[in-house]
Amino acid sequence: MSQLDILMVVLRVAFGAFIPICFIAIGVWMERRGAGFIQDRLGPNRCNIFGFRAGGLVQNLADGVKLIFKEDMIAGHIQHKFYFVLAPVLVFFTALVSFAVIPFADTLILGGKSYIMQTVPLDIGILWFLACTGFAVYGIILAGWSSHNKYGILGGLRSAAQVIAYEIPMGLAIVSLLVVYGTVNLSEIARFQGQLLFGFIPMWGVILQPLGVVIFIVAAFAETNRTPFDFAEGESEIVAGFHIEYSSMKFGMFFLGEYVAMFVSSAIIVTLFFGGYQIPWLATETMVAYAQPIAIVLMLLLPVITYYFTNWIRKNNVSHYNRQNDPLVREANVYIKICWILAAAVELILLTLVVINPSADGVRIFVVLLQMASFLLKATIMCFVYVWVRWTLPRFRYDQLQKLGWQILLPMSLVNIFITSAVVVALS
Amino acid sequence: MLSQWLFYAFATVSVLGALGLILSRHPMNGALWFVVTLVSLAGLYSLLSASLLFALQLIVYAGAIMSLIIFIIMFLNIQPADIPDEKGKWAYLLGGCLAVIPIGLLLLKIVSSLPEGDVDIVGNGFGQVKSVGLVLFRDWLLPFEIVSILLLVALVGAVVLAGKKEMTQ
Amino acid sequence: MTVKIKTLERQGSTFIEKLYLVEVFRGMRTTFGHFWRILLDNSKSYVRHYPEVKPEITPRWRGRHRLTTHEDGTMKCVACFMCQTNCPSHCISIEAGERVDGKSEKMPIRFEIDLLECIYCGYCVEACPMDAIRMDTGIYSVISSERSSVVKGMDELLATPGAFSEEDYKKRGL
Repeated sequence: MSQLDILMVVLRVAFGAFIPICFIAIGVWMERRGAGFIQDRLGPNRCNIFGFRAGGLVQNLADGVKLIFKEDMIAGHIQHKFYFVLAPVLVFFTALVSFAVIPFADTLILGGKSYIMQTVPLDIGILWFLACTGFAVYGIILAGWSSHNKYGILGGLRSAAQVIAYEIPMGLAIVSLLVVYGTVNLSEIARFQGQLLFGFIPMWGVILQPLGVVIFIVAAFAETNRTPFDFAEGESEIVAGFHIEYSSMKFGMFFLGEYVAMFVSSAIIVTLFFGGYQIPWLATETMVAYAQPIAIVLMLLLPVITYYFTNWIRKNNVSHYNRQNDPLVREANVYIKICWILAAAVELILLTLVVINPSADGVRIFVVLLQMASFLLKATIMCFVYVWVRWTLPRFRYDQLQKLGWQILLPMSLVNIFITSAVVVALS
Repeated sequence: MLSQWLFYAFATVSVLGALGLILSRHPMNGALWFVVTLVSLAGLYSLLSASLLFALQLIVYAGAIMSLIIFIIMFLNIQPADIPDEKGKWAYLLGGCLAVIPIGLLLLKIVSSLPEGDVDIVGNGFGQVKSVGLVLFRDWLLPFEIVSILLLVALVGAVVLAGKKEMTQ
Repeated sequence: MTVKIKTLERQGSTFIEKLYLVEVFRGMRTTFGHFWRILLDNSKSYVRHYPEVKPEITPRWRGRHRLTTHEDGTMKCVACFMCQTNCPSHCISIEAGERVDGKSEKMPIRFEIDLLECIYCGYCVEACPMDAIRMDTGIYSVISSERSSVVKGMDELLATPGAFSEEDYKKRGL
């Protein structure tokens, strides 16, 4: 193994481990500010470090510090302390490792050697994700059961029944996808979606499997225990459900695990149905061939985007009341300077790497970076959809949930498999 | 070399898990020990590079079936007082072990009398999605369908039994 | 008076509504409208920036108590115990003494209101025959790090000025 090989392995493992954790911060921030905006409020925006609030992101830091330094309690009536401690670890860990199989860019070719852009190149791909979500439910069941609390047990029971009910439509939706893609390997699935249908429509899963998307997304919402399917918590009915006896960082693990699970299932949805890292109409080879024009277009677009973005910051990062020497304006000016410096740095990198003296390796790295950006952008949008749905829909009633799962989604996914396989057989 | 040590580790853990299943008093402990066994079996499959079997073992056995069983254990809400007092448990265990020894010896003899040679029985692509699918739907299509009908019958039977209770109430 | 009966039409029975998905998307459109509006210009949010921008308080609003005085600065209270008797939470405690300024016979020598007990019902103001106690200071936030400092004595109650003019207070329409 050369040094480059080791570096690439370290990089992709770091990506797989740190991106979901970074997205916890972004997810929590998006949830709280998004909820605020949807309800015509502002959300948490006061916390600051030397006056810098980073749009409310500092609040997450404060919350994290609070969770870590709170007293870690285990109530006296809890008999199975091992399971009690194991449960949050299971929830967090299974959510984190299920990200390992998701490809975040096409294979990188450096100096004739190819490097897979996937944390663990498992060829079972989507099955690994299913296995991990199957294990995540243990965390919730154990938490509810070992809490020795009627609300906890109710939460665990509900969650177990719900996951069992929704894993089936999810698996069947995946089956119909596999019929279309002909593989379970997520890298190959993402590569497949770089093709064009009839020569002009990107061949994304959402176009090939319109019914499958709906079934899968509904089931994914249920698997991550997010509203409208958050029965395991059900604050209004069973107080906090399975994590009622938890405090401090053990509660924090559940809380963070929920956001990791949200990000990972967004990433899975994006990979299966929204083209993964693919940029529409720009397959990897096309991008490599036309790297220079793409880079020039990006260089032209970047100042425009930065201009509008900084204007938005200037307009919104002010105090909305009479205030002498508004410190928020000073803060905004710093942000605007940072934005322009970043834009200039990106321009410089593009200029040296691609436009002036394009080397084969430089172009490949440029393409991979673009694809990573596209993947992360899509995953962020999908995370926003999670937040958006949470603050739009009320919780289902429990019997409605089971009815939806068994009587509507299950037959629908079966019909979907029949239609899909009929079409695939007819076309081949 | 590493794979050999992994094999020993997985094998030991799976046997330990099975022992834990038998010896633990609380049904929840037993069920979770069984999960350990199932996961280490999945590890053994993955050592054979049978990736589909590995995934199915995790999804179906460790994921779905065991969570159903734990769900039921939780649903029954077993208190320490409900657990039967097993008198003479160790004597039964010892007797059982003694009774099984001849069968074990017989098995050992069968295995050792196998013709020595290429131990690589596992063909190329064993346990991959494609090879398992081909075997199931080409060579063993009829048994596969019969088994699925059997499962369907069991399912219908369960539904009928569950429905009957409701009617008599 | 006849009871008005309004029959509400039951929603959700048409096919489109039963599909559920269409209605979900309509709801999401509504929430996204709100999100986008605040995202583009967050001055449009319905928020008071509280510690900096105080809420507007009307004369009717019952804030912290104060004891009123005559023009010459002597207190109006005659220690009749009406407020203490009326108080549902027993937060007022008065100790009466002889009056020395010649306005009447009695005056309180100790007048304490325990604001941790007070429920801000305003019965003391209603009961007072002398208009000696009012809740028009406009103070809505009483914060302290120790309990003893929340029990307000006579000096503090007398020293707090009213937040409104006499006319506005009279017009409050009680």
